[in-house]
Amino acid sequence: MKRIRLERWSGQFLPAARPSCLHFRCPNVRRQSTVSSINPEIHYEDGPPSFLSQPKAPLVSFPPNSPDPERALSSPKLAALHARLQLPSKLPLQTLARTLVHKSADSDPRFNNTSLCDLGHKLLGSYAAEHLICRYPRLPLAVLFAAMWAFVGSRTLTMISREWGVEAAAEPGVEVDPGLLQFMRLKPGENIEGEFENGAIPRPNERRGWRRGMSSRIVYDDVFGDHPSSRDKTGSESSEEGTPAPQSVSLSTASASFVRALFGALYLHAGRQPAISFFRMHILPRHLPLHQLFSFTQPTRDLSRLCAREGFESPVARLISETGRRSRTPVFVVGVYSGEDKLGEGSGGSLDEARTKAAAAALRAWYLYSPGDIRVPSDMEDGTAGTWKPVMIDKGEVVV
Amino acid sequence: MPVSGIRKVSTSQVSVALTVHVHPCLKFDVLTLSQNGVAAFILQCKRLDFHYCDWAGSSKGMNSFLKHTLPRFARLNPSVEITVSPRPRKHPIIRGTYINGREKVVCVKNLQKEQILEKTHLLRDASGEKLKRVTKPVQSINESVRGIWSPYHGAGRTA
Repeated sequence: MKRIRLERWSGQFLPAARPSCLHFRCPNVRRQSTVSSINPEIHYEDGPPSFLSQPKAPLVSFPPNSPDPERALSSPKLAALHARLQLPSKLPLQTLARTLVHKSADSDPRFNNTSLCDLGHKLLGSYAAEHLICRYPRLPLAVLFAAMWAFVGSRTLTMISREWGVEAAAEPGVEVDPGLLQFMRLKPGENIEGEFENGAIPRPNERRGWRRGMSSRIVYDDVFGDHPSSRDKTGSESSEEGTPAPQSVSLSTASASFVRALFGALYLHAGRQPAISFFRMHILPRHLPLHQLFSFTQPTRDLSRLCAREGFESPVARLISETGRRSRTPVFVVGVYSGEDKLGEGSGGSLDEARTKAAAAALRAWYLYSPGDIRVPSDMEDGTAGTWKPVMIDKGEVVV
Repeated sequence: MPVSGIRKVSTSQVSVALTVHVHPCLKFDVLTLSQNGVAAFILQCKRLDFHYCDWAGSSKGMNSFLKHTLPRFARLNPSVEITVSPRPRKHPIIRGTYINGREKVVCVKNLQKEQILEKTHLLRDASGEKLKRVTKPVQSINESVRGIWSPYHGAGRTA
């Protein structure tokens, strides 16, 4: 006859035991005591010290919303993720579990990934920026910002998280497997735009209707050169200013926060070098056709300005070959020459189109110049790097 | 003399404008594509589920596999999550779940444990894509280095 297993029943229906967390989540104050916590006989001459005067804000979020960190050790999903990404053994499974908890699931900053996400966002931005700037020193700023977005922007990080095989929990909770991404999902009909509002940094001159130029994008905006409200943010800035944490977020916001938090955790636990090599393994080899990002309004004018600035002979367009000039579908091949040197070549249905394409090709070739051996500043943080050879710094893009 | 200098400075300041833009269609859609295996390789098999039956004879090999072979397989493949669960009065199966969201199921009824290990390897190494006939040996997202052949370049050939 089957025996009823009471211990199993009790385990199922009792609230999950969280001994280690309960211990330090509850403030060490006996709430029902009638004695005031501060001894009234002590008189402070300069007024009571600050830690006594302000009532202790309860840091606790009780009941806990995220799984017990101890359960991370026995989660097969988490162990598989750790092995799949070949993370160093210095990064413990408990921290990996913490990177998977978005702040909409657990608002307690000690158990969600907000702080790690913040650090990871900064790290990713600096690694990507130094790589792009050292590798392509002549990249125009608009293209540089777009490339930054392409490498470490939220949408790419969302894709990366999916390609790593991270699954999301349907609903956050204590009982959820710690290997699942936990966040509060958007309800049907909920406004997506609401989550973009968090963390917007007001510009000082915004009310006066000042124009947003490239320089102001450098000074005020995020690493992607964009106003924080216009694109999906890291979602990390909102926490410290006392604004409430978002009630629900989209899957892409939560996934991006996981990837950023993983970089932050890797940096904290394993150190600088593993974080950089993880970046070089997973982010840098991604394919980005940089030459397709350029858009020129008047390439012929830009090219002649560039030649004047650099002291080259002024560019001349010459017809290389043509066919069917009198037909319905003529093709002209035009090269742009500076003296004897051919700067670029383009073909098109009219002479003007071919000349414009040739000038654009010449400009692209100029802007996408890459010096041979590339060392980035963060290489020097390693003690055995030797002496620093300064990287090339360009004059900048053509200004008309 | 100083007057002309001032005028020069002021005219150059007025006409300053940056001329390179990112195409407006691309602005929010610039993405990088992953090239799995270029630096890091992510095994595409995420999870393997082993289903067995305690009673049925077709699960004999599977039960022996679970007892003797699976612990070693799991140790050698830490990046695959492995679950074992009964499926009473049914043939034993192995189900692979892949990163692209697809699943692959193999029925292993009446197989020996060595044969089941082969099937497990097959599921582990699969990419999860639908099986396709590969006619061109090389697929690439890079543009061709040589470009498209053009009749207007080179020596040409006279008729």
